Amino acid sequence: MPVHQSEALILRTYKLGEADRIVVFLTKDRGKKRGVAKGARRARSRFTGALEPLTRADVAYYERELRDLVRINYVEPLRSPLSAIDDVTSDIALGHVGYFAELIDEWAPEAHADERLYRLGASVVEALSGRAPVDRLARYFEYWLLRLQGVYPSVTACAACAGPLEKGAVMAPREHVYVCRGCAPAAGGTSISAEALRFLREAAAAAPDRLAPLALSAPAGRELETAHRRLINVHLEKELKSARVLREMSQGSHGSEASRVRR
Amino acid sequence: MSRPDPLAKLIEQLQRLPGIGAKSAQRLAFYILKTPREDVERLADAMREVKDRVSYCSISSNITDADPCYFCTHPGRDRRVICVVEEPENVTAIEKTRDFKGTYHVLMGALSPLHGVGPDDLKIKGLLARVGEGGVDEVILATNPNVEGEATAIYLAKLLKPLGVRVTRIAMGVPVGSDLEYADEVTMHKAMEGRREV
Repeated sequence: MPVHQSEALILRTYKLGEADRIVVFLTKDRGKKRGVAKGARRARSRFTGALEPLTRADVAYYERELRDLVRINYVEPLRSPLSAIDDVTSDIALGHVGYFAELIDEWAPEAHADERLYRLGASVVEALSGRAPVDRLARYFEYWLLRLQGVYPSVTACAACAGPLEKGAVMAPREHVYVCRGCAPAAGGTSISAEALRFLREAAAAAPDRLAPLALSAPAGRELETAHRRLINVHLEKELKSARVLREMSQGSHGSEASRVRR
Repeated sequence: MSRPDPLAKLIEQLQRLPGIGAKSAQRLAFYILKTPREDVERLADAMREVKDRVSYCSISSNITDADPCYFCTHPGRDRRVICVVEEPENVTAIEKTRDFKGTYHVLMGALSPLHGVGPDDLKIKGLLARVGEGGVDEVILATNPNVEGEATAIYLAKLLKPLGVRVTRIAMGVPVGSDLEYADEVTMHKAMEGRREV
């Protein structure tokens, strides 16, 4: 049984039996793995706290011949998303932990190293822990994830006429590229402002922990969110569960009800 | 290997229980087969009765055999304090302390984007209605100390604070009887953060 030791990102866990968990994790050097963490659900387990989604950790595991599931020996956390809490936007920040983890899980190939994807995930954990603005971080993460997969359209040139996209762009219905306003259909599509495109161009050269100075107003952020959701849904051929939950959480679907009850 | 149909059916049903695999299901089925009839009937009756008589409290969403539940109706419980937990089994864990004399509210889960559990899937409306009716001084958020539990606690705090109620969170830190040497970074951070004067 060869033993492997690697830095990894915990992506998600499932309950297994009475006290164990199946852990899905993205290793830096050997891609995505699934393994069994024995006794992980016991109160005094050696894994306690280390198996939260998006925890960056040193993981040691045994691979067994002809078995898909590896056996996890230990998980030593290096950075935890739980250190991102304390401020008033923490529920949204913690909600994004699941969103980022689900995106990585969907895109990471099984047992095939993708160090760039790993580095993107690890840098986002670091930025979250450093209280980076979470909406900007989410748009940054989506942009970079799609770029790494080679499916993000050009943000500088119109896909139809190759002209510059300086005054904004449109993602036409059923199309997944940006075109200039002159080439855009008369109605429909997702409009992207010049501000939103500028954010993406700056994000292409910025680290995720340096997002605070980049300008992105709430409306421009929503434009990018809509465009990115469309790109993600078309490439994954489904909507992410976490995207729906995040939407409900940020809308504060119960907020208005609370005010009504008070009145 | 061919088995008598009723036995195969029992194994198949037992295998559907959480934590029971094929081997365990087979072992349990053979045990039931060898057990005296009256013991098996007692087990079957208990299972039928739990489905017939146990339901959810219309106030706290806790499991109960009488609606409202024991905690919502007992005169010795302080209705000014509500302890919010994720699952009914968490109530049992808190009751073991014998210190808490308030009432409960069971959310039936926690916010979990990864598993698609959002605010509308939890018993949040009932909690807001209870607090909104007045007479509640404090809501204790006793969700699990993990990413999902923390997100749920902060989300609830945002909804509850405007209602003019005191919102508190259970403490987190090093388990009693453990060794600091083995505490991880986040646990130690929480323990230091939640320290108190002695």
